[in-house]
Amino acid sequence: MGAITAQTNQQTAGSKKKKDAASPALKTVLHLILWGVALLQIFPLIWLINYSFLKSGDFFGSGILKWPKSFEWNNYVNAFTYGSVPRFLLNSLFITTVTILVAAFLALMLSYAFTRMEWKLRGPAMAFIMLGMIVPIHATLLPNFILFDKLNLIDNPLSLILPYIAFSLPISLLIISGFLETIPRSIEESAVMDGCSVFGVIFRIIMPITKPAIATVCIMNFISWWNEFIMANTFLTSETFKTLPFSIMKFTGQYSSNYGAQFAVMTIIALPTVIIYLLFTEQMSRGITAGAVKG
Amino acid sequence: MHKLMSNRITIFWLVAPGFLLFLFMVCFPIIMSGYYGTTNWTGIGAYEFVGVDNYTKILFHDGVFWRSLLNALLLLAATLLIQHPLALLFAIFVTHAGKFEKWFRAIFFIPAVISIVVTSKMWVSVFHPNFGMLNKLLEGVGLGTWKQDWLGDPQIAIWCVIVVVMWQGFGYALLLYYAGLQGIPKDLFEAAELDGAGRVNLYTRVIIPLLSPMVRVAVVIAVTACLKQMETVFLMTNGGPANTTQFIGNYLYKTAFSSSLYGYGNAISVVFVIICLIITLAMNKAFKKEVGEF
Repeated sequence: MGAITAQTNQQTAGSKKKKDAASPALKTVLHLILWGVALLQIFPLIWLINYSFLKSGDFFGSGILKWPKSFEWNNYVNAFTYGSVPRFLLNSLFITTVTILVAAFLALMLSYAFTRMEWKLRGPAMAFIMLGMIVPIHATLLPNFILFDKLNLIDNPLSLILPYIAFSLPISLLIISGFLETIPRSIEESAVMDGCSVFGVIFRIIMPITKPAIATVCIMNFISWWNEFIMANTFLTSETFKTLPFSIMKFTGQYSSNYGAQFAVMTIIALPTVIIYLLFTEQMSRGITAGAVKG
Repeated sequence: MHKLMSNRITIFWLVAPGFLLFLFMVCFPIIMSGYYGTTNWTGIGAYEFVGVDNYTKILFHDGVFWRSLLNALLLLAATLLIQHPLALLFAIFVTHAGKFEKWFRAIFFIPAVISIVVTSKMWVSVFHPNFGMLNKLLEGVGLGTWKQDWLGDPQIAIWCVIVVVMWQGFGYALLLYYAGLQGIPKDLFEAAELDGAGRVNLYTRVIIPLLSPMVRVAVVIAVTACLKQMETVFLMTNGGPANTTQFIGNYLYKTAFSSSLYGYGNAISVVFVIICLIITLAMNKAFKKEVGEF
């Protein structure tokens, strides 16, 4: 870190002298600093992938990154067999898919009611849901545990899906209604003239137009709930419905000496969100900044 | 049109599903917490009402609770004084990175999309006293005496946690400032350049002041994120050693599920929600007064 700040100072000192934007020396320094920090940020990922190909015996040396003598694909095989990866992966997929679809659907209806429909309480009602962004999910863990226990929902996917959807609503509502505000009402008006009902307008006209906002909401919710851990850790007790992050836990007890497989599991958990993020970087960035600025 | 748009039945069906779910999963639990917070329930069996005893105990006699708040404050100080200035600086650098601009922005954000379970496990192994990368690295560069049991030392553990949280949130802060920079009209840069302002002057006198609305947003987000910090701590140290890395979210969890003080844990939950609400609303109110446009 010290080296970086020192370099940074040099860089700012340098830019004082040179006003020209295209100064090649300055550009080089800038790029060096950027690559340095970028490496610091993704180094762990590289390290994970690297170690996931090592034999367990190779772990205790002095080097930091090691080129594997032979790629140990066996670690991934072990991860899949002992880490229950396939089952947990399916659970994660099921829970997040249901969550993001229902959340997007409910948020779209709410947004329409809050931006287009005319009713007295719409301002306070919307502000009320927005308060949900402030409420920490951790504060609902204890009461929800009792609530789900009473409703016989402990160890049931619904014990995750319901709170996930509820906590997705504020940010999703914010993004979709922000987008709706920018759409002119004339299209809807003509549809209504032609005899379309409100639900018809929402699902036949508004939904296709708001696709970009809905996509943003789905991707953001996917990443946060795919990675969600603490509720899953609290409300799921048996193996049946556990989500992907728990496959690491499998290797901390019984197979704790199998470091290679541990790293393979971590890579398997990390990659889907990274790939989704890289595919939809624009939507994610737009969603985060829109959510931040308006919220 | 008006008649259709103010039809109460339609409005009901649009709003009810989402709103009821929200009430049921977010508001109702908090009310339940308020109820259990006035009891001495252990989680099983019978319980008695103890009035506001739990709440007075939290506020006046609970050192760990205050330590958790202090840790949130430490994390916030580090975030605002180290992470945010660096993020702003790098956001500026990224805008000058030419064809790699998008790449850098994406790379810096990657830690934020990786599961905290993975990043925490990873950092725990980096800090491992015997096999950890950090100790190996120190030895490698001849600083063997600096080797530590990083997460086992009550003085140092909290700083390790803070570094990890800052590392993971860096891309998020950078993204906010980057978006703020994108929102500044290009001709402002050109005008300043024509006026002969140097690069440093351009940023310190013109651009950064114009970013202040975004800075405010970023500060509000940082405050709530620091208060709500839990998972990293839960997975890295579980609040230890000796509660020196405790945060409220983790503390209430531990109180309820490990110490079986379910009633007391719920009281902490209620205090937690109230603190978050008060701080966020107060900040929003304070900042709303002077939002400049350009």
